[in-house]
Amino acid sequence: MSKIREQALTFGEELPPPTPDTMHWVVYTCKKPGAPFKWAGYVDAPDEALALQYAREHYGLDEACVGLITHRHEDAIDSEYALKNLEPIDASGTDGDEWTVLTLNRRGGNHQTAGVVHAPNANTALARAQASFAGSKVCSIRVVKSSQVLETNEEELLIWRHHDMSYKLARGYSKQVRSKWTRIRDEQTYEDYRQEDIADHF
Amino acid sequence: MSGAANPVAPAEITIDEDPDRLAEFEQRIADGVLIEPGDWMPEAYRLLQLRMAEHHANSEIVGALPEGEWITRAPGMLRKLALTAKVQDEVGHGQMLYRVSQELGKSRDDMLRDLVTGKTKYHNCFNYPCPTWADIAMVQWLIDGAAIMNQKTLADGAYGPYVRTMNRINMEEAFHFKSGEDMVLTLMSGTKAQKAMTQEAFDRWWTIALAFFGPHDKPGAEDMPAMRWRMKIERNDSLRQRFVNRFAPAAIDLGLVINVVTKNEQGLVTSATPDEQLGVDESTGQWSFTEPDWDEFWKVIRGHGPCNAQRLALRRFSYEQGAWVRRAIAHGAVVTPPAA
Ligand SMILES: [Fe+2]
Ligand SMILES: [Fe+2]
Repeated sequence: MSKIREQALTFGEELPPPTPDTMHWVVYTCKKPGAPFKWAGYVDAPDEALALQYAREHYGLDEACVGLITHRHEDAIDSEYALKNLEPIDASGTDGDEWTVLTLNRRGGNHQTAGVVHAPNANTALARAQASFAGSKVCSIRVVKSSQVLETNEEELLIWRHHDMSYKLARGYSKQVRSKWTRIRDEQTYEDYRQEDIADHF
Repeated sequence: MSGAANPVAPAEITIDEDPDRLAEFEQRIADGVLIEPGDWMPEAYRLLQLRMAEHHANSEIVGALPEGEWITRAPGMLRKLALTAKVQDEVGHGQMLYRVSQELGKSRDDMLRDLVTGKTKYHNCFNYPCPTWADIAMVQWLIDGAAIMNQKTLADGAYGPYVRTMNRINMEEAFHFKSGEDMVLTLMSGTKAQKAMTQEAFDRWWTIALAFFGPHDKPGAEDMPAMRWRMKIERNDSLRQRFVNRFAPAAIDLGLVINVVTKNEQGLVTSATPDEQLGVDESTGQWSFTEPDWDEFWKVIRGHGPCNAQRLALRRFSYEQGAWVRRAIAHGAVVTPPAA
């Protein structure tokens, strides 16, 4: 056991002064090239560099994760969350900045990227996204200005996640668990047989 | 791991809301509609859900403490890698659940402070010792197994942000459980000494696992807010029964003996005798078993368990040692311009 854990810890009366929470970021991961980015979770981080770093460390080690994006929670604008499906509305236009559109298929589900729209402001972006992406299986829409979405880059992928990490997945154990069960149960069957055999014959 | 099945301090719940609004909210829940950001919720709902998510988050990070201590001593590189990944997962679960709690109105710093000062609790099962490697195997098999059972039901809850977090967490819990099962199988396929060590660890953890699901349900639990509002889905006793039905036959197949034990102040077993209540009703598949010692359970919850002080001290040490990092980060957050 480490020295720290062996020694009796003593503390002063007071806790250190409180610190404010840092910025909240939402993280989405992509499982294979070309597939949408799906909601993975959150990190708290003070700036963009650490947000990406934390996101990679926490969510980027998912099996077959080939990339991730993150944005600040407060940079996302969500439509209402419909009870079932969000109705498409009439809105069109291609002026303004690019906005990344994410859709939520049902309450309690996970947001995933659906495409982009262009719009001069958030409300218009949401309206145009609702015009293009609402319909069946969309209960809510989220837009984030694309310039506020951070993404991992290609070069990082080369050194990231290219060795076998099946030890951190349930299925990495299935085969050996099954064979160990078989061996243990076979041993028991043999032992029962041996005991009966002894009892019957001697 | 999980904390949510444990009894969250039953503080008084007063529901003081417009009856029509409340009725509409409860109808939605009864209809299976999930609560999402922007939806109205009763103040009591917010408080209860916060308390539950915060307790769960606390449990994730305190649960990682005894396991973290074993990383350097884990036998072999593969077990070291797997245990490191598991501890990282658990702390990650804590981070995600603190985030869910923040959205319900409490700052992360307040939650970390309340944890180290004992104002809030974490799951009781982490107040017991892990003196051998076989204890680590038992925690991953029995306690993570119990946690999956509980958290699968919580993923059917009514609060959207908690539900999506639970679904994500459960994927990783499956790895914890499977690697735990592999560890137990390896030990029980091993030498006499390894089997004896595993039996001793099983004696320490079987009753802790039974108590994991919390005390007996109060009569009418289904009508109380936690279940009526679908924060809690299944009764403690029903979860416990399902656990025994699943794990008792597996333990027996492994060659383990299910004992009734007495323990000393350090949480170590002083006597063990085979559980005479143990048996299965072939017609129903239900196992009978001896109850855990509920007096001991309450004593440990009230802070007098073998490891309560040790766990909190380590958490506090970490909070105090990390203070300068949080200060530096908070400073950074002020001077960093918002994302372009
Ligand atoms: Fe776990
Ligand atoms: Fe966990």
